[in-house]
Amino acid sequence: MRNGLMTSKIGSILMGAIGMTMVAGSAGMWSFAQEGGGLPEGFKKSELVNLPSAEMIEAGKRVYFTKCVWCHGVEGAGDGPAADRLWPRPRNFNQGTFKIRHTASGELPLFDATKPVAGQNDLFETVTHGLPGSAMPPWEGILSEEQRLQVLSFVTSQLVKDRKFDDKASETQTVLDLAGLKATPANKESIDKGAQLVVDKKCVECHGTDGRGDGNAFNLKDDWGFSIQPADWHKCWNFRGSRRDPYNVKNIFRTFSTGLNGTPMPSFADSTSVEERWHIANFVNSLCERDSEGNPLPIDPLTDKPKINFVIPSFSVEGDISDDPENDMWAKQGRRYVAMGGQITHKPRNFVNRIDDLWVKSLYNDKDVVFLIQWDDRTKSVAETKLPWEPTEVNLDQYGVKEQDPKTGEESSIAGHQNKYTVYNDAVAFQFPVKWQEIPPPFKPRYLWGDQKFAADIMKWEADGSIRAFTGTGWDQDFEARDDFNEKITIMKSEWKNGRWTLMVKRPLKGEYEEDTQFDMGKYIPIVFFAWDGHNGDAGRKMAVSAFYYTFLQPPIPREVYIYPLVIGVGVILLEGWVLTRRANKRRGKVL
Amino acid sequence: MKGILYLGALVGGVAVLLLVSMVLGIIPPETVRLVEGYMPMQMVFELACFVAGFTAISYLLGAAGTPMPRFWQGILFWVFVWVYLKFRVYPPIPFSVRAMYGTVSLVAVFMWMSSNEEDWKKFRQPILNVLDAQTGFHRAIRTLALILLPIIIGGFSFLSMKPSSEEPIELRTVHPAPPASTKVHGKTYVLQTSQNPYRVNSEGKYDQEFSNARIVEQSMGRLMKSDANPWDPKAEGYLKYVREGGEIFFQNCHFCHGDNLNGRGLHAFAFNPIPANFTDPGTIAQLQETFIFWRVSKGGIGLPNEAFPWASVMPPWEQHLTVDEIWKVVLFEYWHTGYYPRTWD
Repeated sequence: MRNGLMTSKIGSILMGAIGMTMVAGSAGMWSFAQEGGGLPEGFKKSELVNLPSAEMIEAGKRVYFTKCVWCHGVEGAGDGPAADRLWPRPRNFNQGTFKIRHTASGELPLFDATKPVAGQNDLFETVTHGLPGSAMPPWEGILSEEQRLQVLSFVTSQLVKDRKFDDKASETQTVLDLAGLKATPANKESIDKGAQLVVDKKCVECHGTDGRGDGNAFNLKDDWGFSIQPADWHKCWNFRGSRRDPYNVKNIFRTFSTGLNGTPMPSFADSTSVEERWHIANFVNSLCERDSEGNPLPIDPLTDKPKINFVIPSFSVEGDISDDPENDMWAKQGRRYVAMGGQITHKPRNFVNRIDDLWVKSLYNDKDVVFLIQWDDRTKSVAETKLPWEPTEVNLDQYGVKEQDPKTGEESSIAGHQNKYTVYNDAVAFQFPVKWQEIPPPFKPRYLWGDQKFAADIMKWEADGSIRAFTGTGWDQDFEARDDFNEKITIMKSEWKNGRWTLMVKRPLKGEYEEDTQFDMGKYIPIVFFAWDGHNGDAGRKMAVSAFYYTFLQPPIPREVYIYPLVIGVGVILLEGWVLTRRANKRRGKVL
Repeated sequence: MKGILYLGALVGGVAVLLLVSMVLGIIPPETVRLVEGYMPMQMVFELACFVAGFTAISYLLGAAGTPMPRFWQGILFWVFVWVYLKFRVYPPIPFSVRAMYGTVSLVAVFMWMSSNEEDWKKFRQPILNVLDAQTGFHRAIRTLALILLPIIIGGFSFLSMKPSSEEPIELRTVHPAPPASTKVHGKTYVLQTSQNPYRVNSEGKYDQEFSNARIVEQSMGRLMKSDANPWDPKAEGYLKYVREGGEIFFQNCHFCHGDNLNGRGLHAFAFNPIPANFTDPGTIAQLQETFIFWRVSKGGIGLPNEAFPWASVMPPWEQHLTVDEIWKVVLFEYWHTGYYPRTWD
């Protein structure tokens, strides 16, 4: 029964794959394969490698059934127990379709069980470094080099069912000679050329005008019919092929040259020269988020994401605060990266959070504090009709906001479901403990909307243009509206442009009521961020959430800070005099 | 003998060059990466290289007739300790701890320098020379030191007094004292006497010996025993329950605790504290199975205050899973990490 199902599934997938091939072929992407003549520029012919030994395969089976089966499934069809709640869905090995390769579009990836060399063994590198932005972790340090080669021997020979890695009759190896190519320096000229080329080559149709993956994001499907989204060029640490070296332009050059098999990302090997590809890669690489001096962000090797600083400083300014993020008073302040994970504590859990970070800045003057929050969201989502629930409601089960069931099968899995949700409002909220001055650190009200003992002061903005203030008293307690405060908070700017939201909100430093958070200078005030992507079906507790951060109103430097070090310096000079005198006296035979 | 010394000096010299150029960013800092899992071995090996190098270099310099003065040996060694702790060790050690190590190594250097009268004199001599300033060179150094010292100390105190917005350090108890009993889905479980109903032998009796013989092996990779595959279609009893527990784990828990149970799941990067690493010998290997049952059932919200319940995103799993499912997940976690639950006796 199971086998029957499998066969029919593979059959339908094959049909799909053939369809894709024809479409791709007609677009001229695979033309070199048909013409058989010249290789695309930068590529060289290579020989197929012999299959790994039977011992390697048998040893690999043991690795597979300890570590991999849970996601990739018993038959390697990407249907393990975890699969239905994952997006991207785990790889289905059966068709031999692999994304990250040095080989030409449509070809099998490089794998040699005897040669774990970077640049010559695509699958080994994938297992070693993982696929960032997906659930595939780096296995380096967990599995030994030999174990990684063993498990790949098993996967490539037993679980890739439709193709054979040593089938000389139907397989070829045309390898991108990355080591032999000289990179074009990433100077302004090259980057400018790249900026023009991504328009000429229609990259922006999918990846968006600013490269935030917001182009044709909604109609894209992979070979298996699962929705797939174009990469956001501003988050290179999420590139699947980043090999834990996200700012390395070679990775982009490789992906652009070979394409990603099984996805709508084609190879541009035939339609671009090597030099053009370097220009494009340099341009794409230049878009990845950097610090204020233009240096790559430090990446935390434990998470492969930018390093986190949990303090969000707010700087004091005289007079009115500008509502233009490009204004000098904003531009000169550093921003903070706020990491966002899915809310996976209480139902409905959000297994796929499409907003995985926010960038935050803050300024304050004598009356107000202003937060500038920017985040990438491929879709601007505003509910078409009035939402059926009240803004204060948090338990939205009855309105159909539900979490993904664990075992649904491919069709209704989370990957099959993406982009079919009812569209709600994009939204962002943040909370402070109301009485933070009275709570002895490190105590805090619970990160998820406070608790009975300590209430949370919540400010929520929604894409329909509303901003509201609430009091939260628990994860499952409906908010209490604070109408008096609603009047005092203002949206200074809210704009969605080319895949990025910019939101600027203002609130008074001091409120007049019991339930208002009072901001003091030089104190660490806990803050938690929440974000909803309306096209992800996010509403209520189905959202992205941050850890506790701290807002810190930077006070002007007090006078003592200048005086005491001077006093200390003078003290040291006196001490020096004493030591020298004593030494001189001792040498003269006098003891003081 | 001399050959070995030259080799040692070469190794040490290259190691120092590598370390310094990685610190200064001349070559990429990940040229020689610390890899998790190999890290302790790697660090011991590196230190051995450095020690061999230092010994050999100082011996060879001595043999060549230009011995390095005691004074500089001591200072350089101490500087090396600081640089290594600050730039090499990962995850970074907080300043307070580094200051402690630095003080200890300073004391060690002093003991080394003052182990006998002659050495102590040699160590002291350069300092006294500068104080006495008999030559032009020493006078210049003395003047320089007299001017720089107040500036450095004053500047340092200015920097430390300047209001900065460093993250407040909050220490959290990772394994708080458990309650005597816990009530899950209407039934009370006494932690001292409860047992995992799925930790059974082929006769269906509770049997830790039996299950201990079937967990993964404690070696690199932690692979299953070749005759104990939970995915064998014929697997029954304990191994079948392990598989069922694994299915629940990979439908619910891996998002934070990771595919390898090491706390590096898909959402882990966003959370603080980061999710528990079960492969670390300091977590489930230290605890009783019923403790895990309590932690899983009640989640972060059920923690006592010393463990920061407000910051934990750990769900109270009784909201999502049945009691049976929770026991199976606990069973799987011990199987997959290759640890035994601690017993009460």
